[in-house]
Amino acid sequence: MKDYNGVVLTTPISMGYARQSPHGAAWFVGSVLREMISAAGLTKKDINGFSVSSFSLGIDSAVALTQHFGLCVRWLEQANVGGVSGILALRRAARAVQCGDADIVACIGGDGAAHRSFEHTAAHFSNWSTDAAFPYGAAGPNGPFSLITAHYMERYQAQREDFARICLDQRYNANHFPGALLGHKKLSLSDYLNARPIAGPLHLFDCVMPCAGGEGFLVMSEERARQLKLPAVKILAADECHNAHADDPVQDRGGWTQYIEGLYNRAAVGPEDVDFLQTYDDYPVISMLQMEDLGFCGKGEAPEFVGHTDMRFDGSGSGLNKLPHNTSGGQLSCGQAGAAAGFLGVTESLRQLTGQSQQNQVSNARLGLVSGYGMVNYDRGICTAAAMLQGVDR
Amino acid sequence: MRKRLKLSRPSLRTRARPPKHRSVCGSQFSAANLPGILQLQNCTDCGHVQYPPAELCGACLGSTLIYKETACTGTLLAQSQLHHSLWEYFKRRIKRAPWPIASVQLDVGPVAIVHLTELDLDTGDRVKVFSHSDASRSVVLIAVPAATDITTPELRQAVIVGIQLDKSAERLKGV
Repeated sequence: MKDYNGVVLTTPISMGYARQSPHGAAWFVGSVLREMISAAGLTKKDINGFSVSSFSLGIDSAVALTQHFGLCVRWLEQANVGGVSGILALRRAARAVQCGDADIVACIGGDGAAHRSFEHTAAHFSNWSTDAAFPYGAAGPNGPFSLITAHYMERYQAQREDFARICLDQRYNANHFPGALLGHKKLSLSDYLNARPIAGPLHLFDCVMPCAGGEGFLVMSEERARQLKLPAVKILAADECHNAHADDPVQDRGGWTQYIEGLYNRAAVGPEDVDFLQTYDDYPVISMLQMEDLGFCGKGEAPEFVGHTDMRFDGSGSGLNKLPHNTSGGQLSCGQAGAAAGFLGVTESLRQLTGQSQQNQVSNARLGLVSGYGMVNYDRGICTAAAMLQGVDR
Repeated sequence: MRKRLKLSRPSLRTRARPPKHRSVCGSQFSAANLPGILQLQNCTDCGHVQYPPAELCGACLGSTLIYKETACTGTLLAQSQLHHSLWEYFKRRIKRAPWPIASVQLDVGPVAIVHLTELDLDTGDRVKVFSHSDASRSVVLIAVPAATDITTPELRQAVIVGIQLDKSAERLKGV
């Protein structure tokens, strides 16, 4: 696979997080665009590539938004792939810039959260979900993920205390990230263990809170970013694989296994070299699958791995092995803003690698791995993607 | 207008029923499953048996799929009890007791998410899966322990009555 030399990611924006919002998806996407061009010192005319991800645009598509926002673009993409939309957007935008199809691409994910809109999204998520998953208790994603979690706990002897390690350290990170919707609340082990049950082994703090919000970043040439004096991040390697291991009766691994070795080889680094890891944490068990499949530990070893690993951004935890993980609190503490949740790990990585994080800055963060997972078409998430990112020397 | 909006809330309705909406393939699945124990799509080109229903064969992409009576035996893969639901019917049922669901690997191949009737089953236990037209007249799949006799419609109906899936969930003084 060709490298991503000469292309950088800049100007991470996360905005508008709210538990409920009167605004539609277009408001969030457009507001991110406004903040982004203002932060980068650009005008709308400079943006000639546009990538949009959203679940709640309804009958509008990405091209309708160009008319709403008065954008004229020569490269347009709509990647509605939920939890991998951020990484998919950056891969495609990077190629467009590298090949000269576009100069500056705005990659944005955004979703509203109107009253009872989550119920509607869950009931009509996909044909297979409507026909063969939703009628069974109408639990939304909690249903399939309670089965995946129960299976993982039984097969690999994981305990709720192991999942708590992930949730508690992420809440600590969120306590230091002003944008996190649940960041003002502390979470203790007894809070976690005594939370009300939701579905099987899943209790309240294992589940993300659906919310509204927008996330985005710009993709441009390294030279252009230097001219604009924008702190930037390089893509050392990135990959994706969808619907892998389709014959596994219950999901306990994802498509990462198909490319992670090549990704590390192309980036010329290994899991031991990264300064932080951002996983897609719709449920803590899914973060564990990623730690295993991305090579931080072996299959089934994640419960033991999180037991001796400190996942706080500042290394203030008790674990001897230090791996800052989901340094803004992830979706478990920030909220899950529809397709913007697929951008959350990317924007947080950009802030960390360019030194733009505030209270939750990982010290000397140079290299970060971000991973995506998503789209529960029926009984499991079928999309996976990962990217190794490195800060550009300023 | 405000009053009408208030009255249209599912939580205020007298009767709440299971989710009725299905895709076109899902509706065909419901129609095909009115008779018999379990009818699944069979590909006439390659013999692949598939579920959930789709327009093309997931193995050979052939377009000639017919519903056939299929072996209803399978193995329990995972189970969980729901304490929270997005749908009023299940919200009312869950108030009384958590709602059990499971995933089952059918011997003919596909994995199905099902309503579970029995709570003391273990992973790997043998089960039978049959189809049932619920209180919304859409078909759902029910798993019972393998020893359960479900050969006649009356026996299957008795299982359904046992978990009260044949009735809507009612609210006193609803709209």
